[in-house]
Amino acid sequence: MTEFSKALDVSTSGLQAQAARLRHLSENISNADTPGYRRKTVPFRTEFDAGNGVAKVEVGRVSLDDRELERIFDPSHPMADTTGHFDGSNVNLLIELADAREAQRSYEANLKMFEQARQMSSGLMQLLRR
Amino acid sequence: MDSAALSAVQSYSASRAATQPGNTSGDSMFGRIAMDFAQTLAQGEQIAQQSMTGDADPHALVQALAQTELAVETAVTVRNKVVEAYQEILRMPV
Repeated sequence: MTEFSKALDVSTSGLQAQAARLRHLSENISNADTPGYRRKTVPFRTEFDAGNGVAKVEVGRVSLDDRELERIFDPSHPMADTTGHFDGSNVNLLIELADAREAQRSYEANLKMFEQARQMSSGLMQLLRR
Repeated sequence: MDSAALSAVQSYSASRAATQPGNTSGDSMFGRIAMDFAQTLAQGEQIAQQSMTGDADPHALVQALAQTELAVETAVTVRNKVVEAYQEILRMPV
């Protein structure tokens, strides 16, 4: 495996990780109004590929955010307790949107690196052509 | 058959061994590179087929195709160089 194909490999792992992150973020956003929903957080970790000697990124175990659930006052709600409150989700849309934007930027950075490795390898081969 | 023709035939059959193919088992360096190339191509095709049936990740498809592109480009460039060198030898005045 050449250095260029290793670079392509690592960039692809970054793309996959960011795509997985975006998926969990959209789960959080679409469940923002689900009662009792806890937002998911996506940890990244390094996966060392000893065969090729490259450090890829991979998504670890998804964990749930254990912050307090939002207490919503609505006595007419079927899940309301004696005080008229029920548990909403602990999703903060502002945080999710900022996180999604960060995932997008990171994805773009990985795409650029992919493109860069491709251009460099074809530039090298261009040298042999006349 | 006169002796000149006979000796020409003898020297031809003596030097004919040089035209036999050498090590063809694929253990040579060039054989290994060719096997590697074929493997990259086969992997690209397999992932392309999987993505048609919806089994493969689009990232894996793009990566495999870029990898294949890189391999084909390298192989074509090397082949062009080899053919060029061969033609250079053919043009040599004997």
